[in-house]
Amino acid sequence: MSYTHKPTVIETIAEKLRLVPDLHKEGDGGKAMRAAEEGAETSCPPPSRWDSWVEYDSKSWPERKAKEYMLVPTACFNCEAGCGLLAYVDKETMEIRKLMGNPHHPASRGRNCAKGPATLNQIQDTDRVLYPMKRVGKRGEGKWERVSWDSVLDDIAGRMRKAIMEGRNNEISYHVGRPGHDGFMEWILRAWNVDGHNSHTNVCSSGARFGYAIWEGFDRPSPDHANAKFILLVSAHLESGHYFNPHAQRIIEARMKGAKLAVLDPRLSNTASMSDYWMPSYPGSEPAVLLAMAKVIIDEGLYNRDYLENWVNWQAYLQEEYPGTPATFENFIEGLKKEYAHYTPEYASKESGVDAAMIVDVARKIGAAGTQFSTHVWRSASSGNLGGWAVSRTLHFLNVLTGSVGTPGGTSPSAWNKFKPHVHAEPKPQTFWNPLHMPNEYPLAHFEMSFLLPHFLKEGRGKLDVYFTRVFNPVWTYPDGFSWIEALEDETKIGLHAALTPTWSETAYFADYVLPMGHSAERHDIISYETHAGKWIAFRQPVLRTALRRMGKPVRYTWEANPGEVWEEDEFWIELTWRIDPDGSLGIRQYCMSPYRPGEKITIEEYYRYIFEHTAGLPEAAAAEGLTAFDYMQKYGAFEVESNVYNVHEKAVPSADLEGASVDPENGLIVRNGKGIGVEVGGKACSGFPTPSKKQEFWSKTMVEWKWPEYRMPAYIKSHIHQETMNRSNGEFVLVPTFRLPVLIHSRSGNAKWLAEIAHRNPVWINAADAASLGIENGELIRVNTDIGFFVNQAWVTEGIRPGVVACSHHIGRWRRQQDPEANRWAANRVNISKEGNGKWKMRVEENIQPYESSDADSSRIFWSDGGVHQNITFPVHPDPISGMHCWHQKVRIEKSREGDRYGDVFVDTERSFEIYKEWLAMTRPAPGPNGLRRPLWLNRPFRPDDKTYYLK
Amino acid sequence: MNYGFVIDARKCIGCHACTVACKSENEVPLGVNRTWVKYVEKGTFPDTRRYFTVLRCNHCAEPPCVDICPVEALQKRPDGIVDFDGRRCIGCKACAQACPYNALYIDPDTHTSAKCNYCAHRKEVGLQPACVTVCPQQAIVSGDLDDPSGKIAALVAGEQTVVRKPEKGTSPKLYYINGDGASLDPLQAPLQEEYHWSAQSRGVGHFAGKGKGAPGIEKPAHAAPKAGPKVRRVYDIPSKGAVWGWEVPAYVTAKAVSSGVFLVFFALLAIFRQQLPASLEWGAWAVSLVFLALTGGFLIKDLDRPDRFSSVMLRPQFGSWLVRGGLTITGYGAFLALWGGARFLQIPMLETAALWGGAFFALVTAIYTAFLFGAAKGRDFWQSPMLLVHMLLNSLLAGGSALLLLGLGTGVSPEFSGLLRQMLVVGFGLHIAVMLIELYGKHPSVAAERAAEIIREGSLKNQFWAGSFLAGNLLPLLLTLVSSDPAMLALASLLGLSGVFYTEKVWVQAPQRIPLS
Repeated sequence: MSYTHKPTVIETIAEKLRLVPDLHKEGDGGKAMRAAEEGAETSCPPPSRWDSWVEYDSKSWPERKAKEYMLVPTACFNCEAGCGLLAYVDKETMEIRKLMGNPHHPASRGRNCAKGPATLNQIQDTDRVLYPMKRVGKRGEGKWERVSWDSVLDDIAGRMRKAIMEGRNNEISYHVGRPGHDGFMEWILRAWNVDGHNSHTNVCSSGARFGYAIWEGFDRPSPDHANAKFILLVSAHLESGHYFNPHAQRIIEARMKGAKLAVLDPRLSNTASMSDYWMPSYPGSEPAVLLAMAKVIIDEGLYNRDYLENWVNWQAYLQEEYPGTPATFENFIEGLKKEYAHYTPEYASKESGVDAAMIVDVARKIGAAGTQFSTHVWRSASSGNLGGWAVSRTLHFLNVLTGSVGTPGGTSPSAWNKFKPHVHAEPKPQTFWNPLHMPNEYPLAHFEMSFLLPHFLKEGRGKLDVYFTRVFNPVWTYPDGFSWIEALEDETKIGLHAALTPTWSETAYFADYVLPMGHSAERHDIISYETHAGKWIAFRQPVLRTALRRMGKPVRYTWEANPGEVWEEDEFWIELTWRIDPDGSLGIRQYCMSPYRPGEKITIEEYYRYIFEHTAGLPEAAAAEGLTAFDYMQKYGAFEVESNVYNVHEKAVPSADLEGASVDPENGLIVRNGKGIGVEVGGKACSGFPTPSKKQEFWSKTMVEWKWPEYRMPAYIKSHIHQETMNRSNGEFVLVPTFRLPVLIHSRSGNAKWLAEIAHRNPVWINAADAASLGIENGELIRVNTDIGFFVNQAWVTEGIRPGVVACSHHIGRWRRQQDPEANRWAANRVNISKEGNGKWKMRVEENIQPYESSDADSSRIFWSDGGVHQNITFPVHPDPISGMHCWHQKVRIEKSREGDRYGDVFVDTERSFEIYKEWLAMTRPAPGPNGLRRPLWLNRPFRPDDKTYYLK
Repeated sequence: MNYGFVIDARKCIGCHACTVACKSENEVPLGVNRTWVKYVEKGTFPDTRRYFTVLRCNHCAEPPCVDICPVEALQKRPDGIVDFDGRRCIGCKACAQACPYNALYIDPDTHTSAKCNYCAHRKEVGLQPACVTVCPQQAIVSGDLDDPSGKIAALVAGEQTVVRKPEKGTSPKLYYINGDGASLDPLQAPLQEEYHWSAQSRGVGHFAGKGKGAPGIEKPAHAAPKAGPKVRRVYDIPSKGAVWGWEVPAYVTAKAVSSGVFLVFFALLAIFRQQLPASLEWGAWAVSLVFLALTGGFLIKDLDRPDRFSSVMLRPQFGSWLVRGGLTITGYGAFLALWGGARFLQIPMLETAALWGGAFFALVTAIYTAFLFGAAKGRDFWQSPMLLVHMLLNSLLAGGSALLLLGLGTGVSPEFSGLLRQMLVVGFGLHIAVMLIELYGKHPSVAAERAAEIIREGSLKNQFWAGSFLAGNLLPLLLTLVSSDPAMLALASLLGLSGVFYTEKVWVQAPQRIPLS
């Protein structure tokens, strides 16, 4: 029912006499449409109305002002989850009014976290980079001029062409923070024949990934939370971390059905608050707890016999560890009991501080949950500690023991739930191996040793001619940011630095080109992520471009539809690649040819059209609606390729592939032409897992062959910040600097005002008892001393953290210098950075967050001043010698602030950080491994080059 | 149809998606919120836990904001949604005092009041509120409470629920499943200057962009009694401050002078059968008139939309004491004019009628504010029956002091000043007693007691004890009692007048320093 106000007689007369404005005249604001019938409520207008949806303006209400929108789906860019978004494009102004959820997205199902709708802030940011900018003066000087895309493309392409023609392919690097793409850069970098992919993974998840990869080849978990009976998280996935929105939805669904949740976290996260068991483990002790649980499961016979017997390489284990012993499953169990005899609950409790009885209780509940046991670790303990990869290895051990790998309610390998797009051109793998990315000292490193780049450059291992940083801010996000500044300022080490980013950032300030690339509603991408037991793809598209196309006014390039000349990487890379090889003689241009118009340059629509036409089930679903595959994805933004994906390892090996193959009677391995292609289990030829044995590798030959025999089986590795190393009376603590907030995302949310007003400061969490013994009160200024410097922050005295542990949240502590363009003013302090000589750097806040005048009235309403403190820059690099992960946790010494200290002060000695880099480098056991390999062949690596390059000459 | 909400705290993960989705949908300015999430932590490690509570308008079945709004800018729709119309709002901010739940804010863009309105513009086309749509857990449920087949009715009937402040009689229609008492009670975990992710350093809403600092946080005068594990507020929205500033006590004081002068004037003539010199009579009349104009002036000055002040009379909501007060003041003014006209034209019968009529209206003028404040259900301290007597006494004291000054100025008989002195002594005495009863008597609620505490021993203690009690009441009482020296009496009058202002200032300010959420 539509309600309108009924005026009194007095009011009616007053309005007639024009004494007051007439609020009751017949509206000519237009009539809106209905999304649901009278009395009912639905979440979203139906897709049949998405070309023209009319609803009432909220600000004018109760005056009915109808506004017409075109609803265009896209995918959020603020974290890897890529949740569905529906952009409301005002047809009159051709601007995006708001972004809501896309009900057709199989993972997010129409719902978003706070960062989804806040995308609007990032798009409307009055400080955003709208045009390509080129530096004037010295790098880092702060002066910029606007240039044309044409000049940028010609300059960079020319430089790359020269490098490639001179065989300096290893001097080209594409360093990516947030990819948000799948398959695209594999195509582009291979077309260039450049081993150029460098990623942020080793400051993110490579620790956890290695632990999974060494078990099953696949390197990430995909928990089926919705169907689980027991959920164990070594993470805070009800509030942060990749896929937290789709995961949180399903974790809560399971809990409402009676599932129980246990969380291992030294800090009381929101997730721990909602859990049934908060296990506040001392950082790094998690594998001890997990192995104690494994021991309970093994000793009490709670394991899944069938799964262990069929799918674990226990025969190899017995052969190597107990040669001569009969290869029986019973002997395997006896062996396991011996291996883990000392991981008693009491021992685990001593290491972790978690109550021994709780450990036993949780272990038994896990055993009872059996195949419906879902787990997750992405970062947290696996990315904080030396040997953190043991966290995921021991966590996965519990899944293996309960037979919950790939089962409903269990934990599948990620690749089963991730769609791989079929690109129109598949250039051969590159014939280079770039040691600046994957050096010989770290043969098992799961992704690139990206955070060591400044140190490699300092050591003279090589140089970079063309360096792309793409939505990537190492100066701020990475450890040892001042070493990054030193490297970036050196034009002999980095010839050309092009920053591809939507906003100014601490790293962009040290670039030669700052090239604006669109946000989630301003670019094309295809994405697919392992959010649940299904397989889906989503399409990120520039919504204004799509709206124009729907309105019959198509444009050639995305920057024509976006604000300013904001472009997108996809089209940029195609143009750049085209210009690197103008006559095709380098063999590069051919990969950019259209698959539909021979000899012509591929357009972005053609690129995606091809992928969608080759996505199983999509053309059929589109045809059922009379649409092409591309039109279908433009309309709905997402497609569910498969649902209920389980037990893919049991999929049969195609009989054609079995021709001429032989089966090993000991362990069932099916070999053909010297390669393992499957494994026989229960008489069936199954495809298995991508490991040498095709099974879950409890016993790893790889670890033996690559000089780490002590870790051939799941074990506990004491962290570099183990309690033994701490002198509490000296104020020494372990700092956990990685915890995240549900509303922020690295350094991309600094220009999102609705997010910054919720979270803008990051005091140091310290347990109340610890604070009392140090005489520190809540809010007091403290100095946090790291191995290479210190930062001055406020104390947050709390009962929400384990004694002996302090924590400081990520995302906060942004800055710009006086000379830098103003940006992220909701979150960035203005600082003064000074070099004191001999690698000593100082940073002091000169002005904190202030209201300012702009075309956005909200900027004058900023009600906070506190912009937090930058901590990451005071951390030395800690490369794990095996996984290559930067071990984030720091041993710090806390003291009351000293005379002259000011909130936000930072001090770093980069000569000291270089020493520490060398200390950790000395922990490695470098290649070559067997056969002169620089890395095990079976261990995949991103953008895998030609196998020939795996051999050290 | 009867729309309401359920917040299912079994599912809420405190992610703030609802906060931001609402901002986006309703283009809410920075610093103010239609919905938000409050975090409270309880316990000692390792038995610590954090609770998330989504707060916003409860779409009460008996909304006090609707009752108090003078211009029907807030309305309860027949379908249960409490909606608002920013085009009508005059920015009097009475609704912000009436709402016990901190749901209303002043939009710094339009300078009008706003709050959650169930996304009525979306409801109109069959869409759910934006917060319901975005919530990853579907922890916010909206719908028709009267529809037994619907989800929300089933939840409210089938699960244990709580509502905020049921004792207020507002009949809230927002039900919390698994609601946490310590989080829903605003007085349990006190406000903080800094939270774990945020710290307010400037004003918001009515105070946005005005260059002022953050509103002060009242520190409790005594440590809270130990009732259980530690409870701590670790995240909350910025404080909107005390939106009724000096303008409101100024208006009350001017009104007290205007009505009081005429009331005492009436008493002297009609009850005490005094003969007053014409100059004094004209002087009293002029003072009444001028201060009545000042009353209107301060009222208009307080409005955030002074351009719409005429709406109080031309778009009236007759249930509102602001409208009733406006009519009363108008009636009083009319009788004042009548008296002046009758005296000037020398029509004694009309003059007498005007005197009695004016006195009646002056009485109502003096005390109606007590009813207005009583309708402010968010401010327990004003729900006192003593408030009426307090207002009347202030009026008589203001009037008496002003008349004494006038009398001293125009030269009157010692009998006259003696009479006034007696009236003032009794008045000051009674007023002191009433204030002490209001401050030290037993209060029916904790919020009222806390407000009294703020005056007695908190942030307002200096203003009260020095400005109101000593200088404004006790000293003038003593002076009036012992002295007949005109200079001393004049001083006593001036002190008494400023005392009225200080008293009202403190009385208006104190309860606004008690958190509502």
